[in-house]
Amino acid sequence: MQDALLERLRAVIGPANVLTGVELSPYVVDGRTPEAAVFPGALEEVAAVIALCGQAEVPVVPWGGGTAASVGMPAARAGVVLGLRRLARLVEHEPGDLTVTVESGVTIAELQAALGNRGQWLSLDPADAERATLGGVLAANAAGPRRHLYGTARDLLIGVTVVTADAAVVKGGGKVVKNVAGYDLPKLFIGSYGTLGVIVEATLKLRPVPEAERLVALRFARLKDAAAAVRALLASDLIPNAVELLDPTAAAALGAGEAGGALGLAAGAVLVVGFDGLPEQVEWQCAELARLAAPHGGRDATPLSSAAWPRLAAAVRDAFPVATAVMSFDVVPAQVAELMEQGAGVARARGFQTAWAAHAGVGVVSAALVSDREPREPGPVCGVLSEWREMARAGGGHATLERAPLAVKSQVPVWDDPGAAGRVMQRIKAQLDPKRILNPGRFVAGI
Amino acid sequence: MATLTSGRKTALRRELEAIVGPGGVLSDPDELLVYESDGLTLFRALADFVVFPTSAEHVAAVVRLAGREGLPFVARGAGTGLSGGCLPAEGGLVISMMRMNRILEIDYENQLAVVEPGLVNLHLSWAVVPKGYYYAPDPSSQQACTLGGNIANNSGGPHTLKYGVTTNHVLGLEVVMPDGEIVWLGGRTRATPGYDLAGVFVGSEGTFGIATKIVVRILKKPQAVKTVLAVFDQVDHASAAVSAIIARGLVPAAVEMMDQLTIQAVEDAFGCGYPRDAAAALLVELDGLRVGMDAQTERIVQACRDAGAREVRTARDEAERALLWKGRKSAFGAFGRVSPAYMVMDGVIPRTKLPYVLRRVNEIVAAHGLRVGNVFHAGDGNLHPNILYDPRVPGAEARVVEAGAEIMKVCAEVGGSISGEHGIGLEKADFMPFIFSAADLAVMQRLKNAFNPTGLCNPGKVFPTKKSCVEVGPVAYTPHAIEAKGLAQRF
Ligand SMILES: Cc1cc2nc3c(=O)[nH]c(=O)nc-3n(C[C@H](O)[C@H](O)[C@H](O)COP(=O)(O)OP(=O)(O)OC[C@H]3O[C@@H](n4cnc5c(N)ncnc54)[C@H](O)[C@@H]3O)c2cc1C
Repeated sequence: MQDALLERLRAVIGPANVLTGVELSPYVVDGRTPEAAVFPGALEEVAAVIALCGQAEVPVVPWGGGTAASVGMPAARAGVVLGLRRLARLVEHEPGDLTVTVESGVTIAELQAALGNRGQWLSLDPADAERATLGGVLAANAAGPRRHLYGTARDLLIGVTVVTADAAVVKGGGKVVKNVAGYDLPKLFIGSYGTLGVIVEATLKLRPVPEAERLVALRFARLKDAAAAVRALLASDLIPNAVELLDPTAAAALGAGEAGGALGLAAGAVLVVGFDGLPEQVEWQCAELARLAAPHGGRDATPLSSAAWPRLAAAVRDAFPVATAVMSFDVVPAQVAELMEQGAGVARARGFQTAWAAHAGVGVVSAALVSDREPREPGPVCGVLSEWREMARAGGGHATLERAPLAVKSQVPVWDDPGAAGRVMQRIKAQLDPKRILNPGRFVAGI
Repeated sequence: MATLTSGRKTALRRELEAIVGPGGVLSDPDELLVYESDGLTLFRALADFVVFPTSAEHVAAVVRLAGREGLPFVARGAGTGLSGGCLPAEGGLVISMMRMNRILEIDYENQLAVVEPGLVNLHLSWAVVPKGYYYAPDPSSQQACTLGGNIANNSGGPHTLKYGVTTNHVLGLEVVMPDGEIVWLGGRTRATPGYDLAGVFVGSEGTFGIATKIVVRILKKPQAVKTVLAVFDQVDHASAAVSAIIARGLVPAAVEMMDQLTIQAVEDAFGCGYPRDAAAALLVELDGLRVGMDAQTERIVQACRDAGAREVRTARDEAERALLWKGRKSAFGAFGRVSPAYMVMDGVIPRTKLPYVLRRVNEIVAAHGLRVGNVFHAGDGNLHPNILYDPRVPGAEARVVEAGAEIMKVCAEVGGSISGEHGIGLEKADFMPFIFSAADLAVMQRLKNAFNPTGLCNPGKVFPTKKSCVEVGPVAYTPHAIEAKGLAQRF
């Protein structure tokens, strides 16, 4: 790290907001320690930091709550961590407009609390709401169980302010719920993992807090019976807000926090369905669900506590004290159960334990793998992960290696190949960040 | 734009015919006239050729030919656009997608359909309705407009309040890039690796390439629907009711507003049972589960009453519901009876600013000596002031255009947008600085460069530019064919 750069950073944002040396341990990713971690307190300071790093050609790693910091290819050079936590102001919330404008460093939990006081919420429920910041959630396109009904960031983000690699403050979209003026820049930054710009402010659509909400768990003897029940549910008139399919291991992690305890142990699979709306609507739908699931062998319909929601979002990850690897998949909904079944089989045959869960209605699956042997040799883990990826790809889906030791990441690519679209992505990167300052090397296609 | 010599033109025509077949190329000026404008007849421009490909490979070959020749090209769907988006602003090729109109696949289990871009919006819903599904985005032009045009403009409709606009329903696109490469953006799954290029393509107004296949979501039809008409003696009360409904935790499928001029025009023409002396009416539709529907309807009724509605009526049956919607949907035809011409504006404001902005709209139009009828998607703040005028009066059209620009400025001032669904196209390119800074536009331009580095794909749109190549006037409004046939209205 050039001392000159450090000095300038300190001058711009104050020495207390520039961390170095041992203070950097929370920001170590894939074994690489950043050169500094800086925490600007205003938009202009974010721009100044990027300008200074740009001049010095030192990479910038935007950092929210750090919950997805390890997702991505290992960086060639750790660079300067740009923390957004101090930018957390609620800029504007007008309940009659059902929109909010907020700085990106606010955590999801803080934002929900502020909105909840006024009877509204952001219908986005990723894991780690206490730590994950809005900016990070947008950049990683994170979502939770309620995405079944309410979609993801792309359905909620209507405006965004970013600082680009050339330190310009740029706005895309706007503050109104319907808007087709200009290109849809919010879409460009969602899921861009900090490679195109640093998100500093966002405007989002909100929803009224529903009067009633309930989660119900049903047990099935076999995964494929649960999958048949999911099909029946999706083809019915019901309007669930979450449709989660869990294997017994993930279900056990979910059930562990519940009063009744172990949810899934005796079962082959557990289906957890959420409903919201008026109390009578929730009531009626729960009854209908039990009726729909019965012919498929669904039994023991059990209401879960509202505390089960955040556990549901993290059920796979929390299934083991320390997972060796976590992989997520996007497949068509019809492929979910097969992927879970066969994926578990492949791992079992090689002596690995796994946990599986899916947002079954939208085809988003995640799996954790744990090796009880001492995995000095990453080969077998890599073998399983590669097979999983092939299974997803065979059905037109894809896989992302969310978390794994460096030795595994160096053999199994984090991202799937985007195909010919990858060249368009590279051109976009070259247009917006020609000097490759923002999170270089971390994303798909070498971006 | 240099004009092609006739020898060059003949040679090119032959080459194009070799690609798409002899029946797939127009170059006769009389035939080209049909393609000189879209639904906004304020702008006209003639192409050198109109080409009708029937496959992505055709499109790719035509695009490569255009690239080789340095000829601009633009995709065209049904030509119902209202911002001049599909105009060949600088000559060159119009690539009509109308012969690529097949439904390739309907996958009910995964609730998606794969279609070609020339498919008419409503035809998709027709295809899936027997199984209880529909395609949600419902522009009023849905009997004619194509999915390709919808994608390009990110079109909306009355029911997009609850269900979202086109972009919320698109999963993937096969695109012929401006350099002729065929690329998939997105796919059949909810996400694909890398940037959300399908999301970025939607709303790019034909400047990022030409979509040749589209994967969209199809939705289950809701179990129940309820429609409420609320009548107000003051426009402000109707506006306030819109926010009140939203603030009470209700998300209707649609909230549409009509003002007095519109109501009277509709009643004079069709007699749908709206009170003629009302200052404004709201049409509110709820959909969803049968259970709880009455309770929710009651809340809407109450919210309207509390906001000062003098009468609130709930449709008792499908016939009454259809009648209420007929009033809303026949507003266009009705304007035609009270004025020889009108121009529809499209702007968006925060819902809570409705009372103020509607007052300003009326003031602005009156100051230009014109009349305005407002009929619009009030629930999402998407205004459609329809300025009535007589094109035979010298200068009338210019005053309409001026009033329109002032209205857009007001939308921008209150934190809104200059387009909610019709797009920027040629019409509003020069208004972009009302809401975007030079830095904002520069990033958009760089994004465009990544897709369309030569700029040959639909030039002159979206970004502020001189309109020198395009003839303006003399008649801003003439009914689109689907309007003339009474199939659709434009808001
Ligand atoms: C009576 C009437 C009512 C209307 N009501 C509504 C409404 O309620 N809501 C609304 O949002 N709009 C409405 N519109 C506007 C218009 O119908 C929409 O913008 C529609 O999506 C345009 O579709 P089109 O097929 O006619 O496209 P065109 O007008 O032919 O083209 C529109 C744009 O799409 C591009 N394009 C076309 N096909 C492709 C392709 N395959 N790939 C890439 N780009 C392509 C063109 O280049 C152009 O930029 C209305 C218009 C009329 C005339």
